[in-house]
Amino acid sequence: MSAAAVAARGRRRDTRASPGLTPVQIRWLGALIVCAQLPQAPHLPLWIAAYGLAIVGLRFLLLRRDPLRPDAPPARIPSWTLVLFAVVSALAVRASYGYLLGRDPSVAFLFILVGIKFLETRTVRDGSLLVALASFLVVTPFFKSQSPFAALAAIPAVLVLGAALDALARRPGGPPGRRPVAALTRTAALIAQGLPIAALLFLLFPRIGAPLWGVPGDTTGRTGLSDSMAPGSISELSMSDAVAFRVDFDGGAIPLPAQRYWRGPVLSRFDGRQWTLLARPGEGALAPLDAAAITYTVTLEPHARPWLFALDMPASLPKAVGEDAAASAASGFAFLTRDQQLIARAPVTQMTRYALASVPRSSYPPADAAEAAEYVRRPPGNPRTVEFARALRAEHAGDRELVNATLAWFSREPFVYTLVPPLLDRDPVDGFLFDTRRGFCEHYAGAFVALMRAAGVPARVVTGYQGGEINPRGGYLIVRQSDAHAWAEVLVDGAWRRIDPTATVAPERIEAGLARAVGADEPVPLFARLDAGWLKGAQFAFDALNHAWRRDVVGFNRERQRELWRDWKLDGFAPWQLAAIGGAVLFAWAGLTLAAAGFGRTRPERAQALWDATCRRLARAGLPRMAHEGPIAYASRASRRWPQFAIAFTAIGESYAALRYGPPPARPGERAALYATLARAVDVLPGPGELRAAA
Amino acid sequence: MTVRPAHQIVPVSQRAAGILRELARIVVGKDEALKLALACLIARGHLLVEDIPGVGKSTLAQALATTLGLKYARVQFTSDLLPADVLGVSIYDERAAAFRFHPGPIFHSVLLADEINRAPPKTQSALLEAMEERQVSIDGQTRKLPEPFFVIATQNPVEQIGAYPLPESQLDRFLMALELGYPDPAAERELLAGGDRRARIADLPSLADAATLADLQREAAALHVAPALLDYVQALLAASRGHAGATPTADTGARRGLSPRAGLMLVSAARAWALVGGRPMVLPEDVQAVFPAVAGHRLAGGARAGALAAQSLLRSVPLP
Repeated sequence: MSAAAVAARGRRRDTRASPGLTPVQIRWLGALIVCAQLPQAPHLPLWIAAYGLAIVGLRFLLLRRDPLRPDAPPARIPSWTLVLFAVVSALAVRASYGYLLGRDPSVAFLFILVGIKFLETRTVRDGSLLVALASFLVVTPFFKSQSPFAALAAIPAVLVLGAALDALARRPGGPPGRRPVAALTRTAALIAQGLPIAALLFLLFPRIGAPLWGVPGDTTGRTGLSDSMAPGSISELSMSDAVAFRVDFDGGAIPLPAQRYWRGPVLSRFDGRQWTLLARPGEGALAPLDAAAITYTVTLEPHARPWLFALDMPASLPKAVGEDAAASAASGFAFLTRDQQLIARAPVTQMTRYALASVPRSSYPPADAAEAAEYVRRPPGNPRTVEFARALRAEHAGDRELVNATLAWFSREPFVYTLVPPLLDRDPVDGFLFDTRRGFCEHYAGAFVALMRAAGVPARVVTGYQGGEINPRGGYLIVRQSDAHAWAEVLVDGAWRRIDPTATVAPERIEAGLARAVGADEPVPLFARLDAGWLKGAQFAFDALNHAWRRDVVGFNRERQRELWRDWKLDGFAPWQLAAIGGAVLFAWAGLTLAAAGFGRTRPERAQALWDATCRRLARAGLPRMAHEGPIAYASRASRRWPQFAIAFTAIGESYAALRYGPPPARPGERAALYATLARAVDVLPGPGELRAAA
Repeated sequence: MTVRPAHQIVPVSQRAAGILRELARIVVGKDEALKLALACLIARGHLLVEDIPGVGKSTLAQALATTLGLKYARVQFTSDLLPADVLGVSIYDERAAAFRFHPGPIFHSVLLADEINRAPPKTQSALLEAMEERQVSIDGQTRKLPEPFFVIATQNPVEQIGAYPLPESQLDRFLMALELGYPDPAAERELLAGGDRRARIADLPSLADAATLADLQREAAALHVAPALLDYVQALLAASRGHAGATPTADTGARRGLSPRAGLMLVSAARAWALVGGRPMVLPEDVQAVFPAVAGHRLAGGARAGALAAQSLLRSVPLP
């Protein structure tokens, strides 16, 4: 290190004692940072991803030496520019996100900051700090996704992390560093040895009921049903392949497609165009449980809204899987509204699993007689609809006849079920019913309810999902955003009854799903369109993996841990006994690992391995052993090539020869001494790169 | 196998080094050949030197005998040489009124059989039989040959007219076959400047005697041979069998590979070589050092062709 460099760092006295980084160490750190950045990059705005990676690239550029002046100190960036970099980056992140103190902008800032830190890292101490920062960056993609892919994407960074720590531990002049592949292989071996321990701790270490800290909820841009519905909102949602939730049915019997109405937000307020939720619907009563009840577990993807989905009609309150049964009952994970919606106490911002029972019914009694008035309100406008409703009413005195006549009218008139309806301008209900007659489920449900209300029949719109797809691998149901649906409920003869006008117009939508119901030229998502073939099979397989991962790994919480302990008959043990068992298993495993690493092999085998490794190293350094060459001959040839290591080569050759060809030991410990000599001499030799350079 | 701690070995190597040093003063520039000859003697084998006259064969034999303190005799083989000329003859002693045995030159510890291929097969065979049996039977009486007993036979590969080339079975009795070759320029210069070496043999100190040599031989025979080394020797033997069968050379016709006896000889020669090198164990390098000399004349006709065949065989067999 030049005197100028030391003087330049005079202001940071504390780091002066720490040795400088070698180019090899800097490259390892750079590789670590890139490996940590890459999995996070897709979750960031493009410019931040490119910027953060470019800063790391800049350091690599600075590391290049001028071939004409190989002794010149590497180029460096003045410190004040780094401060400038950091400030500009913070402002840019603020501008990009609109705020700075939040999870996503913080992660983005860390992403850039790690690069800036790398730019100025020159000492081993800074390098260690950088490793810590990079380790934190490795974790950040899990904020966004906890899929098996996210776990896989973290593996390169973990491997390079080990190699970088290995490189950092080397001192100039000390034993040489490992080759990159060897360093990575060694880290992989260490990880492999640690895996059983991690698995044991995962299974046995007591889970904390609630996380110590919550993942801050920047849940913008989640897809899912919203609290309002206008023409076009559900057809837009149908373009998404994203999974809304998955359902495991107890006993494995999955209801028929026509029974699979997954009830979500119930929309009762109408402003002439848009349907919205009631402000305060109040608590409702559950449908009575009966023999036909279906029990199932829903694994709900986060959608940042409080509603939960249940099969029509819910017969029990959902119980969060994993939550303590008692705690669940006391706190009330969710409640049922008067219009039979299940609402969680907090928005669903993390993957949530809950179990409940439903009875397959399409009608239920109203909460009280007074509520009917609320469901006939309608705003002014849509005059032709009002006119038509009056005409129908005049024709049919009874509500039931009126409903049937309206459905008959829908099926008689040339209505078309389509994902790409024409735009509707003013009085959208009029426009749809009498002019365009092309629409998606929200058009039919909305228009039907508007028509009913105009005729004085209490009615409301129910949104949710309908159908879903059974994954033959794992035997569970996948419900996607493309299964989003809207239907109607009318209060007829003292009961709310489910009426699905879409089923009248396009019965195949209900029976066979979206892709069968619309024309082949419509923009249906790929997975909804797929029927069979390897791609579908692969998709099912991947979804099954993902579901299992979410259920058994990400969703492995205290309750599931208890279940597992019960299954393994471990619940009878006191905690200290469990700890002792775990400790014994860990100890045994550590012993096995150590044994496999060398203690299990005989000394001649270990000597042979050392000798083979030395031969490989010298071969890489440009002096391969000839196949027939004996140890002494090879060692003396190597000594001639590298006279500075002649003593080591001679020691290696002679001790190996003695171990392999020598007589049985005359004194105890003779072979151990020979082996020690061999191992020490092999340690003295530098790596192949250094040897090659020294030749 | 007897365990021999290293400290007993070291003086042997020093002694061997001393002997070699003295020999090198007389036989200039032939260190490798000298070492092989000494190893051959220690391995209780016999040596065949194949070369033109005047490259120092007799000097080597005589110097070796002198340095080791052994009795030396030289027999020039000619076409009229009879077995009795080599073995000895019983002559009637009138004063004692009995036959008295006059021992032939074979009763010397180091016998130089010069131009052995000039003698008729009957004489050759008498010598070779004695080499193998280490005893001779004359007039119904068996007489032990001295211990140690070391034959250095020479033959001139160039002049073949009127010669009786040794048959393969007889060649097999020689542990090693060497070619001394011309000295290199520096050695030749030293040779030219230093005058007649033969005259200086008499001044050589005797560094050993028959008893020490017997010790050395015993020690060599007891030297440790590891299973790994036997693996290597077996690999060499197997390769020679495949090798020789695959490429029969024109001058000798199809040859067989190395015999089990050749394998035994190879191991004992390697032991002796390791002992001379001062090692308490036999290494592949030792096998390789003696292999051309031990295997050459068994693989192909002529020491040089044999050595080359042996070298290429060595290169083709990896260490197990």
